[in-house]
Amino acid sequence: MARHPWRTALGVTLASVLALSGCGGSQEQHGGGSGAPRTGGTARFALPPSATPNWIMPIAIPGYGASYNGAIRATMFVPLYNYDGSSGSVALNDPSSAADPPRYSADGKTVTITLKPLTWSTGDPVTSRDVEFWLNLVRAGKDNWGKYSEGLLPDNIKAFHAVDDRTFTLTLDKAYNPDWFTANQLSLVVPMPQRAWDRTSADGPVGDHDRDPAGAKQVFDFLVGQAKKLGTYATNPLWKVVNGPFTLSGFTAAGEVTLTKNPKYTGPEPAKLDTVKFLTFTSSSAEYNVLRAGGIDYGYVPTSNLGQQSKLEAEGYRVEPWNGWSITYSPYNFNNPQLGKVFSQLYVRQALQHAVDQNAITSVIWRGSARVGYGPVPQDNDTKYLSQRQKTNPYPFDLDAARKLLADHGWKPGSDGVLACAEPQLCGEGIAAGTRLSFTMLTESGSDETDGTMQELRSEFSRIGVEMKVNAQPLNTVLANGTSCEPADASCSWQLSYFGTQGSWYFPANPSGEQLFATGAGTNFGSYSDKHADELMTATNLSSSQQPMFDYSAYLTEQLPVLWLPNPPYQVSAIDTALHGISQDPLAGLQPQRWFWTR
Amino acid sequence: MTRYILRRLVLAVIVVLLVTVVTFVLLHLLPGGPARGVLGVKATQAQIDTFNAAQGFDKALPVQYWDYLVRLVHGDLGDSYTQNSPVTTLLGERLPKTLLLTVVSTLLAIVVALPVGVWQAVRRGKASDHVTTAFTFVLYATPVFFLSLVLIILFAQVLPWFPAQAAQGETVGELLSQPGSLVLPILAGTGAALAVFSRYMRASTLDNLAEDYVRTARAKGTPERTIVWRHVWPNSLTSVVSMLGYYVPTVFGGSLVVESMFNYPGVGLLFWTAARNADFPVLLGVVLVIAIATVAGSLLADLLQLLIDPRVRVKGARS
Repeated sequence: MARHPWRTALGVTLASVLALSGCGGSQEQHGGGSGAPRTGGTARFALPPSATPNWIMPIAIPGYGASYNGAIRATMFVPLYNYDGSSGSVALNDPSSAADPPRYSADGKTVTITLKPLTWSTGDPVTSRDVEFWLNLVRAGKDNWGKYSEGLLPDNIKAFHAVDDRTFTLTLDKAYNPDWFTANQLSLVVPMPQRAWDRTSADGPVGDHDRDPAGAKQVFDFLVGQAKKLGTYATNPLWKVVNGPFTLSGFTAAGEVTLTKNPKYTGPEPAKLDTVKFLTFTSSSAEYNVLRAGGIDYGYVPTSNLGQQSKLEAEGYRVEPWNGWSITYSPYNFNNPQLGKVFSQLYVRQALQHAVDQNAITSVIWRGSARVGYGPVPQDNDTKYLSQRQKTNPYPFDLDAARKLLADHGWKPGSDGVLACAEPQLCGEGIAAGTRLSFTMLTESGSDETDGTMQELRSEFSRIGVEMKVNAQPLNTVLANGTSCEPADASCSWQLSYFGTQGSWYFPANPSGEQLFATGAGTNFGSYSDKHADELMTATNLSSSQQPMFDYSAYLTEQLPVLWLPNPPYQVSAIDTALHGISQDPLAGLQPQRWFWTR
Repeated sequence: MTRYILRRLVLAVIVVLLVTVVTFVLLHLLPGGPARGVLGVKATQAQIDTFNAAQGFDKALPVQYWDYLVRLVHGDLGDSYTQNSPVTTLLGERLPKTLLLTVVSTLLAIVVALPVGVWQAVRRGKASDHVTTAFTFVLYATPVFFLSLVLIILFAQVLPWFPAQAAQGETVGELLSQPGSLVLPILAGTGAALAVFSRYMRASTLDNLAEDYVRTARAKGTPERTIVWRHVWPNSLTSVVSMLGYYVPTVFGGSLVVESMFNYPGVGLLFWTAARNADFPVLLGVVLVIAIATVAGSLLADLLQLLIDPRVRVKGARS
């Protein structure tokens, strides 16, 4: 036995640590660079907290439609039309699309599309047949397609006709707004390699199975089954047949994805990097620790850490907010048995909106990273769809105006300072005398910024005599409980809800609101219903004029179907200053083929 | 003694069953259920209904539990909603990595803590004992997440010796291929255990040093070093070794935090991600594993005590 066993133990431990530190290496260098583009190299990108990619097939089933799945997939399977914000506004991005811009017939019911000369990694060209294959599978499996809405794609395509190998026409059920149809419908189409994937089993023969509905369903089910096997992604020969600038070379069960440059890519934008790694983290703090240690080239900074921006910049990162093509709001439950009738009064919604200090919330709580939002159209990226009414905010923060609106309609403070309806004939139809302006906000937990926003709202509302209680729950619970309901339902007890810590709603390229505010729409959680609003939304989908969108924007800005709130960024990014070619796409897409190092 | 062991085994099975009942009921009573969380805001009611039917959530809770038990008996823990893999596969991939972390952390803690505990006991009341005691108390009181943060700041950011995240890979071999990335998670896991074991060892050694056989040995002129290392050390070890079993749940609990902090791809990270995504089958699977480990740990502790302490053996035989 050693004379001083503790010293021996300490010595062994220190020696081990020192030996291992040699394996660990030193902190990686960021920033610098010559400024001249270099080809090759690897970039490490941090996915959002707890985001683990889990789908590869271009037709995603419900639950697998996360934006990062789509962004990664688009680097391997080029969508027919890709929209992004790289031009400064949300628009069609031609180089990253598989087809030339569509041509609509004079009556608007036929679309002619010509594919670009892309090639699959097998050497086969990308043809009209590959688009027909996608369409046939979506028709067969539409009820299990996450993007399906009744009456829309594929229901609204009456016929597919291949003009030649690269040109085809689609016959539509009616004339749509071409801008809307291309942006929100054709952008969902992704040519798929029919000559490799049109099979019903792994060792079955490739054929034209998809041309028969039963066969198409079998192919759809086979591909979905294969796509469910995450552990085989990197090795399954199916997913090796790609036409994009990257191919998949690694996919761990923990969600780490490795893309490598596709040497057989024939399109206009070959990848400049050799490898892109997508890293996953359980929490933003775990990611931030690695970022600070230099282990990430393109990551994100929790807003609570924005005070350390200068340190990150000194370490060679640039810090930039990534604004989303999104809006953020709290839906009112118009069917709530206690307060539904109260929320139905426009003057009540106007008073509450006047009590939202959006400037304070964005500058103080979000530390300047969020943007104000006054209406149903995203307003912090691109203003081409914005009405003047939404731009100028008809309900600025004005507590006196809020108090006056409520007082003029018969609401008087009770002994506890909370307003109660004293004159029912003024309060509005269905509102009984004594009804108190007291409600509970069902809100998502776990975010300091959201907690701060709720406290700010509660404070301002109390100053106009409105009591707001906060019920913070995990996001899943808020989403599950704050859904549309009938007054008699037990589930209709929620009054307002908030699920917008990363933005409440991300739009496709055309920000029409038929899924959010149309009567009976799937995501119209508060059961808002307004005939004129419905007409305006229909018009945005059908008319090729810009005017319906302006009218829709102006009308809903004034009508307040929800409580408009500041829109947080998708994330605040920290990007190595030597990594270039990055455009933070408000549609949350990525174009890593454009990234390059200058170091 | 056989009857005692059998009774303990039966009790262990009952405890695991009770844990599954409680966990199953609690998870399924969470408001909202998993469908909306899994399918997202855009899911239609029809899609939610389909999901619930496919997962059996449209059945009564006791029926769901019975189905779960039947599958469990057949070694089927269900499939993850989000990862599409059987839970057993996911656990099979992650458990060895967590075991690597916890076993190495615990062994390291033992190797350092036991001699330190003896040394403290021998030097009881001296300045070095006070300093070490203060250090171990601070270590004991330091939450694992805080210790992890301190280690990251010190050894990944200020002194960039080790990576702040563990190597990501499918196998233990891939983790071991980057040993540097294991240092900080292991040190974080070692901290609390080291404090606990050294305190235990110190107390146990002090107790033994006060025993009659030590006095007798001293009276016979046995050198102090021989007394400590040949007589007191093995006797003191018994209580610490038996405590190891009881420490299993603490080790697992700590690993959840450590894995989250260091992005270590083990069971803890799996649990964390499943909790964020309301992935009930995975949550149930992980809870079951921890329950089994906990019960097995305490069973092991009892058996060890039975083996090394004749007094317990006699008591166990009588009972």
